Amino acid sequence: MNDIRLAWRNIWRNKRRTLLTAASIFLAIFLALIVRSLQTGWFDHLISISIQSYTGHIQIHKKGYWDDRDINNSMPFNDSLTAVIKATNNVDKTVPRLEYFALSSYGKQTKAVMISGTNPVREDALTHLSRKVIKGRYLDSSGNGILVSQGLASFLDLTPGDTVVFLGQGYHGISAAGKFPVAGIIHIPSPQLDNQMIYMNLTTAQYFFNAQDRITSLSITLVNPDEINATVASLRSKIGGEKYEIMRWDEMMGEVMQALKAKIGGGKIIIAILYMIVGFGIFGTVVMMTTERTKEFGVMVSVGMQKTRLAFILVLEMIFIGLTGILSGVVTALPIMVYFHLYPIHLWGGMAQAFISFGIEPLMPLAIKPGFIISNIISVLIIVLLTCIYPIRKAFTLRIVESLHK
Amino acid sequence: MTNDLIYNDLRLMTNINGMNIIEIRNLTKVYDAKTIPVYALNGVDLAFREGEFTCIVGPSGSGKTTMLNLVGGLDSPTGGEIVIDNTDITGLKSRMLIDFRLRNIGFVFQSFNLIPVLTAKENVEFIMQLQGVNKEQRDKRTLELLDSVGLSDKINVRPNKLSGGQQQRVAVARALASKPKFILADEPTANLDSKSAENLLEIMEILNREENITFIFSTHDPRVVAKARRVITLEDGKIVGDISKN
Ligand SMILES: Nc1ncnc2c1ncn2[C@@H]1O[C@H](COP(=O)(O)OP(=O)(O)O)[C@@H](O)[C@H]1O
Repeated sequence: MNDIRLAWRNIWRNKRRTLLTAASIFLAIFLALIVRSLQTGWFDHLISISIQSYTGHIQIHKKGYWDDRDINNSMPFNDSLTAVIKATNNVDKTVPRLEYFALSSYGKQTKAVMISGTNPVREDALTHLSRKVIKGRYLDSSGNGILVSQGLASFLDLTPGDTVVFLGQGYHGISAAGKFPVAGIIHIPSPQLDNQMIYMNLTTAQYFFNAQDRITSLSITLVNPDEINATVASLRSKIGGEKYEIMRWDEMMGEVMQALKAKIGGGKIIIAILYMIVGFGIFGTVVMMTTERTKEFGVMVSVGMQKTRLAFILVLEMIFIGLTGILSGVVTALPIMVYFHLYPIHLWGGMAQAFISFGIEPLMPLAIKPGFIISNIISVLIIVLLTCIYPIRKAFTLRIVESLHK
Repeated sequence: MTNDLIYNDLRLMTNINGMNIIEIRNLTKVYDAKTIPVYALNGVDLAFREGEFTCIVGPSGSGKTTMLNLVGGLDSPTGGEIVIDNTDITGLKSRMLIDFRLRNIGFVFQSFNLIPVLTAKENVEFIMQLQGVNKEQRDKRTLELLDSVGLSDKINVRPNKLSGGQQQRVAVARALASKPKFILADEPTANLDSKSAENLLEIMEILNREENITFIFSTHDPRVVAKARRVITLEDGKIVGDISKN
């Protein structure tokens, strides 16, 4: 009869109580995992969409550009800079862009637009821009055809083949003007962007803005996004941090990130409260399990069981109840997480609208990360172990004669 | 010093039937010492020898339980010594005392006090496991012991499926399992019907006679007292009678 078997049998002396306690742990960890999985899934989804649809993992700008996105804050871009960046460890794809405002005019309508001059092939590799074409065709790698976002196109009443006029201010205040044929219409999920985006070849844009060999940003994607800090550091040392600002995606998504972190923080607080409630439940059980057996403990110590061993058995009992709850919770939550990870939930109604307005597909994939699964398991185990302080104290302060009279 | 030596010599000389296994000197236990002191034991001197079958009697509140608890090392006295096998157990630290009990003293409690989740066999085995006896020896001895208390057929039964008398017989087997120097039993028959009580006493007697197991027990029951070979009477924490019969 070893301690493990003794502890196991002890917890089943009061089946109902043990099951209730284990069930509360089960429910807590199940809910915690699902909530964390949803939150993390949403978070990751948002980030990956944002990274893939625009920012990349890292962007390089001229120092000061991010706060003042003026064409005069553009930077020279040449093959040697490209070569240095390409040779940096962990760098995957790069997309150079020259972006600035201009006024568009077609027929009687005029509207402010954001012109994004980009490399069509590299842009497509990063953001799959060609998939957003709903009418006409994608950009050619040369030529001055442009892509017009759908909202803007319908405002100006444009169709592929039409020619738009852009007016604006170029580099060093030189006035810019040009006529551009519409190659295709694209749909951008974010309504705000959909009402103002123009894509054209980088060289075309450079020519239009009179900014030869200049770009406003270079987007970079990474082979391993987890090593972003190391890559930023090595880029900084290679190209010089005083001339350039090298920003991580989370820095560029500042406000959105803050909001997300607050949401996740709120979720964690709710989980913590849930755990506390469960903790009190476990504590109640442990108090009952201990006090109703005081006499038995007295007998065991009388006949020669050391108090340390008694305490060990009591801790084992709580760990068994804890593990029963934890394992059943994880085993139940995991398949659900895996399923909705592979087949994301399609959102509907206002929620879906909100997503779309953020420029995010209304999907909600659940995330499965060892990190939050393990941290939740450990949290519950810690709570269980904390409640064990009570029986441990009881075992060590046991007064045999008094306990035998119970 | 010299007096002590002479006293010791005298004591050794009077040891005809065997060694003193327990020597109690000036044992005192005071409860509620701060308010009104209750002298549960008041300067008791006593010795027990190997192979005794001794009963402690006395009116309720005379100090029987207190005495057995102190001798068993379950409680500590206010004053005096309890020397078991050359060890003064009143000076032992908790861990040592628990270990001392495990190796030297067997207990039978008034209300059986078996471990409810363990079968009869496991309850007996439990003590040997604490002692670190290997499985083979444990199995052998457990079966022998349960046989000797007439429970060979209840090996795998848990306490709640046993009658009070049967439980108490398992308790006796458990007390014997550690091969203790003596067994202490505080009113072992108090919760038994007269037939079971008689049966338990019979088993204890046989174990005492045939295997020289030392029993020290307390009781209120005159029929149990009648079986004892030595009767110690307590009153108000003092010994007022100590009669041996042969
Ligand atoms: N824990 C205690 N606190 C205070 N007084 C006690 C305690 N235990 C026993 N006593 C007192 O000590 C005396 C002896 O009790 P006890 O040894 O139980 O006698 P017996 O077993 O002969 O009935 C009694 O007066 C009893 O009230």
